[in-house]
Amino acid sequence: MTIGRGLAIVAFATVALGQHATVAAQPAAAAVIAVGGDVSHVMSLTAADIKAMPRTTVTVSEEGRETKYEGVLVGEILKRAGAPVGRDMTGQAVASYVLAKAKDGYQVVFSLPELDPAFTANDIIVADTIDGKPLFDYQGPFRIVAPHDKRGARSIRMLQSLDLVRLRK
Amino acid sequence: MKPLTHLVVLAAACACAANVLAQAPAPYVWTLPAKFPRPRVPTDNPMTAEKVALGRYLFYDTRLSRNGTQACATCHEQARAFTDGKARAVGSTGATHPRGAMSLVNVAYASSLTWANPSQSRLEAQALVPTFGDHPIELGLEQPGTALLAALRQIDMYRRLLPAAFPGDADPFTIANVTRGLAAFERTIVSARSPYDRYHYDRDDAAVSADAKRGEQMFFSQGLSCFRCHNGFNFSGATDFEGRREGGTPEYHNTGLYNLAGALSYPAENTGVFEITHRPDDVGRLKARRSGTSPSRRPTCTTAASPR
Repeated sequence: MTIGRGLAIVAFATVALGQHATVAAQPAAAAVIAVGGDVSHVMSLTAADIKAMPRTTVTVSEEGRETKYEGVLVGEILKRAGAPVGRDMTGQAVASYVLAKAKDGYQVVFSLPELDPAFTANDIIVADTIDGKPLFDYQGPFRIVAPHDKRGARSIRMLQSLDLVRLRK
Repeated sequence: MKPLTHLVVLAAACACAANVLAQAPAPYVWTLPAKFPRPRVPTDNPMTAEKVALGRYLFYDTRLSRNGTQACATCHEQARAFTDGKARAVGSTGATHPRGAMSLVNVAYASSLTWANPSQSRLEAQALVPTFGDHPIELGLEQPGTALLAALRQIDMYRRLLPAAFPGDADPFTIANVTRGLAAFERTIVSARSPYDRYHYDRDDAAVSADAKRGEQMFFSQGLSCFRCHNGFNFSGATDFEGRREGGTPEYHNTGLYNLAGALSYPAENTGVFEITHRPDDVGRLKARRSGTSPSRRPTCTTAASPR
């Protein structure tokens, strides 16, 4: 895990060709998740860092079959980055949100409280395995899994960064 | 009552029960891989082996066309993943259709049927369209199908198959039973063991090439967004199956091909869902499948067998 004060440099950049983004395979060993925005500790998490954190398993139903994803609670990652979670989730912190971005440019938003295990029981995770195996290439090496969402649109694949945004007034 | 009488009555009861058992249709046994969803079957047309056998013969029988030249299988060839390889289908009288013949592979899971008719969701009802429809003419039978039923009554095979499939019917020779049989057979046309399936369901990473995996990444990328129309596990829109809380909502898409007949217009005979709803915003909306030899984006490995 690397921690710095500046924005982490993401190892792989998306190359755009007009409207069509090319997608090259991203080796899991080299992949990182940049955690930044309005946090006290900007981080760049490798696959090994994710593996070393407390693990959480969620089960979702995908097209009629039960699928198990394993990974790390997003709230755990944000806590390590210094986001106001747990006992600090009060006042204006409740109005914070997290912007998650994928390698292909796709973006989704979660409110900070819904990612905080002390606030809800959503168990939204950054997953790195599916049914005990690495994620499929088109999914990984990291994806968010929001098991209680009725639709899968926020379970963003090819996750590359998490940025915290706090309202100032 | 004397003991002997008891025996006679018991023997008669056993004979009767055996007769009923002999006539009772056998439930159809699905042979699907673990975790692969099982199609949702209408309660008024449960799957039986006898019904599937009937439907299989009907599907390949050219007597289902008025001039005896075409069967369902003419446009839905097993060797071509149950479509015909043509951009536009050709009916029994030679008329070229406005659209291609859709594949029947995994049609049992489709929440909606046909290219552009949101009201078609049951295979039993949809079978009436190619059979009796006259715009365009497909099989071209004349309603209400009296001639077909009369022809079927003359054939020994159907004199066995129809009563076996519908043992409770005093007269099983009805168009409703013909479509029930066809629908039952169509539901057995399942592809669940393609290389793609082995990759995803069995996690056999060697089942597909590295190129295919890169293609999958592009397919699901934000830039190409193929998956937005070709979604669901069949890559052809909303699906339904056993255990799903509610069937998927039928989806139709306008891909912007709006100038085929001049600026901002579609050919009059091919305006998509608008043909049914007459809503302006439905012009050009079609189901996410494609004509030709590949029925949907999903690679196929069909399991239904030809009877001949």
